Amino acid sequence: MLYVAAYLLAFLAPLLVLLPGRRATALLAWLSMEAAAVLLALQGVLAMGNGKLPLIQLQLPVIGAFTFAQTPLAGLLILITAVVFAMALPFVAHDANAYPRGRQALFCAVVLLTLLGMTGFFLANSVAAFLFCWEIAALSIWAIITFETRQSKPVAAGLLTLALSEIGSLAGLAGLLLLAAGAHNDRFGPIIAAIPTLSPSLLLAAGLLAFFGFGMKAGVIPLNVWLPEAHGTAPRSTSPILSGATLNLGLYAFLRIDAPIALHMPHLGLIILSTGALTALIGILYALVERDMKRLLAQSSVENMGIATAGIGAGLTFTAYGYPLLGGASLVAGLYHMINHSSFKTLLFLGAGGIDAATGTHNLDALGGLMKRLPVLSSLFVVGALAIAALPPFNGFVSEWLLLESLLRVVEIPEVPVRITFALSGALLALTSGLALTCFIMLPGMALLGLPRSAAARTARPAPLAVTLPMALLALLCLLLGVGATAVIPVLGRIAEGILGSNPTASLVPDFFSTSSSIPTAVRHALAPLGTEIGASWLPLRGLAVMHLNSSAPVVYAMSTLLTMLVLLSLLGIVWLLVRGLRQRRVTRATLWDAGLLRLRPEMTYTASTFAAPVRVVFRSFLRPSVQSTEDRQGAFLLNLRHSEVINNISERLIIGPIRSAATAIAALLARMHHGKINTYAAYILAAMVLALLFLIAANS
Amino acid sequence: MSEATGLRHWLQSYPALSLSEVDGYCLRLVCTPEQLPGLARELVEHWQAEFATLLVEEHPDRALSFTVRYYFYAPRQHHLLELRIAVAPGTELPAISDAVHAADWHEREAWDLYGLRFTGHPFLGDFVLHDEDWPEGVDPMLHRFSARQRPAGEGSGEHWQPPQLLEEEGAIVFPVGPIWGDYNESGLWLLETPGEQIRYLHTRLFYKYRAVEKIAEGQAVDQAFLLSERFAGAAALAHSWAYCQAVERIAGCTAPRRAEQLRILFAELERARHHCANIAEICGSTALSVAKAMAQNLVEDWLRLSAQVAGHRYLFGLLCPGGLRQDLHAEQRNLWIAALARLRRDLLALREHLETSSSFLDRIEEMGTLTADFAKTFGVVGPIARASGRALDLRRHLPYGAYSEWEPEIPTEEQGDGYARLRIFFAETLISIGLMEEMLTQIADGPIRTECPIRAGHALAWVEAPSGATFHWLRLAEDGSVLRLRLGTPGFRNWHAFERAIQGAAFQDFPIILATWGLSVAENDR
Amino acid sequence: MSFWPWYGLRGGQQTESWEASVPAGASPGRPVAAARQDADQFSMICPTQALRAQAGRVEVEMDHCVHCQRCRQGADPLPWQEDAAWSHWRDTHAQPFPARFRRSLHVLYVDAGACGACVNEIRLVDAPVYNLHRFGIFITATPRDADVLLVSGPITDAMHRAVVKAYAAMPEPKRVLGMGVCAINGGVFGKSFASHGGLEGVIPVDLWIPGCPPPPLAIIEGLRRLMGWTNGPAEREVR
Repeated sequence: MLYVAAYLLAFLAPLLVLLPGRRATALLAWLSMEAAAVLLALQGVLAMGNGKLPLIQLQLPVIGAFTFAQTPLAGLLILITAVVFAMALPFVAHDANAYPRGRQALFCAVVLLTLLGMTGFFLANSVAAFLFCWEIAALSIWAIITFETRQSKPVAAGLLTLALSEIGSLAGLAGLLLLAAGAHNDRFGPIIAAIPTLSPSLLLAAGLLAFFGFGMKAGVIPLNVWLPEAHGTAPRSTSPILSGATLNLGLYAFLRIDAPIALHMPHLGLIILSTGALTALIGILYALVERDMKRLLAQSSVENMGIATAGIGAGLTFTAYGYPLLGGASLVAGLYHMINHSSFKTLLFLGAGGIDAATGTHNLDALGGLMKRLPVLSSLFVVGALAIAALPPFNGFVSEWLLLESLLRVVEIPEVPVRITFALSGALLALTSGLALTCFIMLPGMALLGLPRSAAARTARPAPLAVTLPMALLALLCLLLGVGATAVIPVLGRIAEGILGSNPTASLVPDFFSTSSSIPTAVRHALAPLGTEIGASWLPLRGLAVMHLNSSAPVVYAMSTLLTMLVLLSLLGIVWLLVRGLRQRRVTRATLWDAGLLRLRPEMTYTASTFAAPVRVVFRSFLRPSVQSTEDRQGAFLLNLRHSEVINNISERLIIGPIRSAATAIAALLARMHHGKINTYAAYILAAMVLALLFLIAANS
Repeated sequence: MSEATGLRHWLQSYPALSLSEVDGYCLRLVCTPEQLPGLARELVEHWQAEFATLLVEEHPDRALSFTVRYYFYAPRQHHLLELRIAVAPGTELPAISDAVHAADWHEREAWDLYGLRFTGHPFLGDFVLHDEDWPEGVDPMLHRFSARQRPAGEGSGEHWQPPQLLEEEGAIVFPVGPIWGDYNESGLWLLETPGEQIRYLHTRLFYKYRAVEKIAEGQAVDQAFLLSERFAGAAALAHSWAYCQAVERIAGCTAPRRAEQLRILFAELERARHHCANIAEICGSTALSVAKAMAQNLVEDWLRLSAQVAGHRYLFGLLCPGGLRQDLHAEQRNLWIAALARLRRDLLALREHLETSSSFLDRIEEMGTLTADFAKTFGVVGPIARASGRALDLRRHLPYGAYSEWEPEIPTEEQGDGYARLRIFFAETLISIGLMEEMLTQIADGPIRTECPIRAGHALAWVEAPSGATFHWLRLAEDGSVLRLRLGTPGFRNWHAFERAIQGAAFQDFPIILATWGLSVAENDR
Repeated sequence: MSFWPWYGLRGGQQTESWEASVPAGASPGRPVAAARQDADQFSMICPTQALRAQAGRVEVEMDHCVHCQRCRQGADPLPWQEDAAWSHWRDTHAQPFPARFRRSLHVLYVDAGACGACVNEIRLVDAPVYNLHRFGIFITATPRDADVLLVSGPITDAMHRAVVKAYAAMPEPKRVLGMGVCAINGGVFGKSFASHGGLEGVIPVDLWIPGCPPPPLAIIEGLRRLMGWTNGPAEREVR
């Protein structure tokens, strides 16, 4: 089995690092790690093609069932994870070379343990296995974040992650245990089978606990404040892994547990949808006010996880209301967005890491002008930004467009509260898209264009190949996932079928090319002049257009990124030819018009802060910055003006802050009980026993 | 008059101060550098005196030593005060600008142009002579400096850094100018901003520095008259009137009664046109094109009226020491009277339309507010001061010419915002129209000019120009050539305070606030 | 509530015909050369040497006239003419724009030390009575869009570089128009350490508009001359 080979290679790699000889062993270790990731990716592809397949069946004492099984959904997540790792590992190996030998091995081991823990988690099929792998993944992620422990900040961030992760785990575990207790079983199969028989309140409690508990790992509100802290302080080479891969853990976990519940309980789906939409908006708002590239990207991960969550929630709701095709389309959109996020976020984080490696800073306000100094990295970075800003022909456009279109189909559900929830969520997501566009104009604009705003940016070194080569591959992937929508959707459709029980492929990518397709011939002929039948004889696809069909109207919505791209390219080509052919004079290059100043200085040009200022002003009542302003005077002269605005995350402000102060207050209260008098302690014990007895009597009656 | 005698008694009893009175209008005091800050602070804070201007003169007999005169006026006592200090070579003067902030730019100017250093001033340098272009140690107003040619030497060039007061993460210094907008006067405005909000503004002027005070030196009275008239064309008559007054005061002559009345008429005509031009700019800055067109029509009507009654649209070439160069004929007078009625009607209509346009008022109300405190600290003058609740007007407080007979009404507003300034512009234009109508029917007959002999001597003269108090100081040599011409302009005073009205404003309001201030760069730069 | 469109329409068309004679007060006018017996002595009256005695005539050099009016005040004045067509080419090499610029021209105005009167007149070229836009002429704020650089003022030392940079930033074909006596020779400010004494030697100039200040009509006439309306094809009414 490929799993075994991959696991063996993965365990081998850290040992290889310890062999004598520096360059050769490093290369060997990297090859071994890379091979492990590639093997896992292959296995993922295989798993997506097969049905459910049991792998390990153990019945352990005390712990109970410890089983693993392979499903297409697990295969998809393993594939995504392995690809992200494969793309990030060159940079990990590159940066690990800077550590001493022992730490280098440890670093590789920790990174690989994350991969293995995640793979195991995706395959887990019983409560104990699920939690075991979850903890392995959580602990190794914590180890990654705190790996550079010389500064104190990473430790704090790591502890915060760990603490929140444990709170989340506990909540998720509680939900899972509720279900297991209700079903009297600890294997997933029987638990899911028993769900229709359980009481609605138990299901709701379990579903909410699992969603918010495991969702925490994906940055779902309210407990997402750890995410930017952790990703902002993790070693730069691991950020692509943390954002691109590990966030999917949370999505997968709550999808696994909540999907079967939500199919019987539409409200849960609505909660997931609206929470996702709100998460997306909050994520992008905080991304826009960040000046640190890594933290900005981490906040944007919150946004993208929110979008994927919303897709999942909408899919579950539609299906629960008896619209499996619409539900399938939404779920496909959510899963598609998860894939897309992993691709472009890995690309962007690699770019940010590369910029950090080239300049020594990831502060946007200190960058600028890198397009001229790092042209390859910058161009690839721009591709990532276009993709994440959901601009065609890249992949972000496909999933966000599909999601918004699916949400609009709520018109087919008659219940007004559902319609309102969908409409509001759709509005939040639309606002999010607009803000995301602003954000990802700002990111490449402020980092790459304009004048360099610091010596570091002026003297940037070339970025390592370990960054630019994977970035190029990922950029290609972003394009392929964008133009190849009609090839990707059927694959996701089959996975959605495993979750919802029906496959939406036929209603999203109808078999346009085949003569026996469900599309009326008249429609096909009408669309043919638009190029919809290009490649019908030789393309191994169902068609080139994503189009939703239903019974009343033949085509509800339709889109083809490939054809759009072809039209765009040919237009650009025509313009280029016209310019080449018709230009009469030579091009004159003049210097920048600076209104007649001696020279435009870098401190006179826009920074990320100034660019995002309108957002800060418009959303001021939401962001609620704490403002500090002081000035120095000499008589009537103003000598100096200091101003600072610190924006605290809303979950920090509304949830964690109060909890922290409550905890401190309780601790202070408890401390007063410890005054060392033995008879008081005896009184406490007596009171506790009385309370316990009263509780037992009440429970029995 | 008890307040006036009180001030005089206080000055007389001030230790070690010699007091003399000249011409009945000016109390002259000779003081020492040590006495200066305390005396200046006391005058402004206790006696409510206003700082008028600062004059530096190179002492003729000893190289590199200066006579410095600080002029104040006490509006309530109708008195002008001169503090004279002799500066020994190699010594400095204590800065008074942290207490009398209106003197801030005057001190910076004296340092740049004379090399006279003021102890305790935090921002000397890079003012009139920009650091990026001029080397250190060039003092153009010294006699040994030749005005003919620019001396060799470079400034800091590309090493020049914009001034920054603000410490805030990600904040930038956003430059506006020197060439900006469709048709604006040149200058550089550096907006310190984190985006959207302007936290602080550095007004960097003197891009139009033509060294008028320097090139006037050595010119004949008649020649220098052209400079005084044309360094700020939008208020040519006011500035040339002050110049003529100075020459007349040195000569000891007064213009005939008819000439004094005509001077007031033309000065009010200029004021009305100046204010209407400001109104047009305010309307234009808020993109209210019809209102702008209506205001432009008013401006053009005033200009055509000026050309018809005085021969020149900007009233150039009208005055001369001793009176006027040309008379006003009866048909011109009738034309003028007829035009005034029409202009008043149009002005009132425009005002009514504007005052009922809420979208327009939203953009100027509470915009660019200069509080009464700042107005006093910075010693702003003219309509800007009156819009911030300071009823200051030299026509009332130090009456000149025939204004003691024809006292104009002084409108004030309390808010100090853009709308208050707009209301002041309208109110003063209407008052000027009223004054012109009244005078045009009562002009005395008689000559328009007396012979004004050219004598050696010096004098201060003042005028309430359209944009505020103007103090020109002139010293003539025996041969009638100018030894020193000091142009103390209202623009120089008001630009200084502009930065305080911008603080906290949004980016896009900058041009609107600028328009409501209606300041002339040429008048500042000289 | 103000209804601005109605106020605008109510005023009717206020733009004055380009063909009509110069309205009263629209121009300060200028002295006209005349034969006089006292030419030598009379020409001394001019403080800017705009009057020159030549063979019993007083010749007028418009490039130096600042409208001080001294030659028309007094008992025996020089005749003055109230016109506004004052612009003239700098030299014989100067050319109007190619024909395709006849109906559209963009102008960048640069104040290089002007006293404020020139600025005020420039601000009036789009006033209803003059309506510069009817000729397709527009004021722009950036040299990148500009065909014409319109400069006023004696070119102060601090603005020298800005003027040169603005000229360099303009695309070809471009023309430079020096506006006002100051831009021609420094006017009353002349040449000094702080002023360059006009555009000559700073950037290549095509057309001068004398006057102190040139009124809006003179500015528009100069721009139309650059467009080729006045020197070349017959004058046509453009409304």
